[in-house]
Amino acid sequence: MIDLILIFRILVFPGFTFILFLTLFCDWVERKLEARIQNRVGPMVAGPGGILQPLADFIKLLTKEDIEPRGVKKAVFRFAPMVAFSIMVFAMCFLPIDGASVLSSGGFSGDLIVILAFATIANFLLFMAGWASANPYGTIGSARVLTQFLGYDIPLYLLALTPAFLVGSLSVFEIAGAAWPAIILAPWAFVLFIITLQAELEKDPFDVPHSESEVVGGLETEYTGAKLAFLHLTRDVQVVFGSALVVTLFLGGANGPMIAGLEWLLQPIYFVIKLLIVVVISEYITTVVARLRIDQVLTGNWKILLPAAIISLMITVALVTWVYNPLSIGV
Amino acid sequence: MASNIDMISLLQSKFGEKIQIQPGVSGTASIVANNGLHHDVLAEMIAADEKTGIVAMTGLDFGQTLGVYYHVRTAKPFFTIKAEVPKADPKIRSVVDIHPGARFHELEVTDLFGVVFVGNEYDGHFVLSENWPDGVYPLRKDVDPTKVKLVPTPEREANLPAEGRQVKIIIGPQHPALLEPEKFSVTVDGETVTKVEPRIGYVHRGIEKSTESRTYLQDIYLVERVCGICNPAHAYGFVGAVEKILKPDVPERARYLRVIALELNRLHSHLLVLGHAGLEIGYETVFQYFWRDREPIMDLIELTSGNRVYGSLITVGGVRRDITAEQIPKIKSVLNDLRGKIPFYRKIYLDEPTIRLRMKEVGILSREDALKLSVVGPIARGSGVDIDVRKDIPYEAYGEIPFKEIVYPDGDVWARMNVRMDEVEESLNILDYALDHLPSGPIRVDVARSVPVGEAVCSLEAPRGELFYFVKSNGTDMPERVKIRTPTFANIPSFLKTAIGESIADIPSNFVSLDPCFSCTDR
Repeated sequence: MIDLILIFRILVFPGFTFILFLTLFCDWVERKLEARIQNRVGPMVAGPGGILQPLADFIKLLTKEDIEPRGVKKAVFRFAPMVAFSIMVFAMCFLPIDGASVLSSGGFSGDLIVILAFATIANFLLFMAGWASANPYGTIGSARVLTQFLGYDIPLYLLALTPAFLVGSLSVFEIAGAAWPAIILAPWAFVLFIITLQAELEKDPFDVPHSESEVVGGLETEYTGAKLAFLHLTRDVQVVFGSALVVTLFLGGANGPMIAGLEWLLQPIYFVIKLLIVVVISEYITTVVARLRIDQVLTGNWKILLPAAIISLMITVALVTWVYNPLSIGV
Repeated sequence: MASNIDMISLLQSKFGEKIQIQPGVSGTASIVANNGLHHDVLAEMIAADEKTGIVAMTGLDFGQTLGVYYHVRTAKPFFTIKAEVPKADPKIRSVVDIHPGARFHELEVTDLFGVVFVGNEYDGHFVLSENWPDGVYPLRKDVDPTKVKLVPTPEREANLPAEGRQVKIIIGPQHPALLEPEKFSVTVDGETVTKVEPRIGYVHRGIEKSTESRTYLQDIYLVERVCGICNPAHAYGFVGAVEKILKPDVPERARYLRVIALELNRLHSHLLVLGHAGLEIGYETVFQYFWRDREPIMDLIELTSGNRVYGSLITVGGVRRDITAEQIPKIKSVLNDLRGKIPFYRKIYLDEPTIRLRMKEVGILSREDALKLSVVGPIARGSGVDIDVRKDIPYEAYGEIPFKEIVYPDGDVWARMNVRMDEVEESLNILDYALDHLPSGPIRVDVARSVPVGEAVCSLEAPRGELFYFVKSNGTDMPERVKIRTPTFANIPSFLKTAIGESIADIPSNFVSLDPCFSCTDR
């Protein structure tokens, strides 16, 4: 009996199916927001307000011809997009969407490190996907992905440690369940984290791997059909994962005012609402800035964000040791 | 600053009988300077006036001899230096040593007429296609382009390592980042550009040759097709030159209507490039906003000329369509809407931090280089050179309309874009003034189909810079020679100069700041 519940949790809610539809929904929200800000019009045919359009696009791409150019590294070219997608979904499963992680209710201590590592591996797989495609634009695009995430992973990890220090635990479940969310105790880290996340997700102003005027399609240049569909989906899941990470680490996860007996319903709703807020902030930043040059992106990381992250961590440790702990705030 | 009379008397005192001065022909005066004297005359003019620059060069076929005309701009007056070389041995001294801006003009004459400029040789074709046979010069009168036998196309140039750390990268002619076919061979040392070599002519349509076998009336529609975006400017350039020979009495109202057509054109062209620059630097919101606001201007062009793009409004002797009294309030309300949005856009281009990061200190062209390379339009004005044909040689009603000449001293991409931004506002002022002061009366006069023997130049400020037309007539209803020099052709040297020493990632934003139009350049 207990096994059936686990299978339901993995496959339907809050596991694979839910994550898939949440991803498509977030994609729709992003499109809507961008269209509103930029005064554009888009397709409104699939579903009310075009809500099914991302799904329609995904299905359409699945039906398209799948071309493998000569000279590609076949195994990597074929499997990298799908493996990257799977790893992102797997990493998502550790985040407490309905108050508990999908696999086991409390996760395990140190799972924060594991899911960050998963995100890095997925990024690395995307790099390999572009690298294997035997196209100069794919190669340059994926080299840019690699340069960028190698640089920005360091401040991201350092900033992710801020809430961990505040709570005194590396368990995602415990961080999300903290009485005082990190955004109140360390708001500067939240701001820095959002900026670093823009770079990790390759969104403006850090979207140099997707600069059409320089690298055309970037790592996606040679991809078609189902593989392209999975590449797109991976990127969308990355956006959702990044936002869910912010919700978990800084915004108190699925916590919120509860009504007794309705926790099972309210917790996912709180989580999704918070997630949408992060998605909106991220998309807003994307629309109101121009793309930086690749060297400016890298200088921005090593000269500004990395020192800022280190200082942020030092301030956090100092605060925890001398202010928060004596006053019993946080833990 | 040398004035009109000064320059002529200066040259007369210096060269005496060796040159002949024909006042009033092709500009303020034509200076016939054969036997290599054209070089010394130009040197003298550059020494007398720092704004001296070569606007264009025309090659001509006189039967036994080939003519080489240097069309020279000075601070105010406009001169043509004429030289002739025998067809059998067409060698002439190049002027690139005193004026580097002449380089591409001379190469074009070499390609199309076979004149060899000693001191400015080029390997292969510059505007003609790779499979065009050597020794056949299409614009000579004795060449029938339909009977030319093409040679096999040579092999494609590959990306080759040059010397040491330097690598040669070929961008184009087909490249997803380029909107039009052109080729740049970029030599890079790591990320730094050390050399850029252009190759144009991939869509050379031979429009100059085609005009010679069509009537003047047909030619107006043909030259409009040189460029889709600035087609009224091309129509006016041709019509203006023809009218200088024909001397019809163009009605006052037509002169104002022409200004309205030309300014609406500038407005939509500037909005286009301001948005496109946003797209090149990944600022999609700017792109969407500018192109959204460009749409009502396109509607105005349709309202006033009957067509969104090719209005064919300007014709010899006037314009073909009037603006009625009922249309004026509608036009003004659209213009006022746009005016209300200008402060916001101005703020974006002046102060937005990411725009400043991508555009400030990028592609710097100093004032000295701008003069030496004789660049035109917003590029020159962005480098602190105050040349604007509308002010310098006022044509049509521009002399009566008050407006500011926009000059930024910085010389970078940011300055060029802001020149355009400010010119959008000035265009709105000009349009408002022209609509308020529209004289009454007829809109065109009838003119003869045949044009008497003569020659004339017409230069005007197109959105991308000074556009130049030279028309030579032979008494029939078809022109003897039409020369078109588009602004982008004059501005390519500035890109070659500014790209050097900068990152290869700066090329897109630097390039788009020229507002390049290669299909017009190829003609």
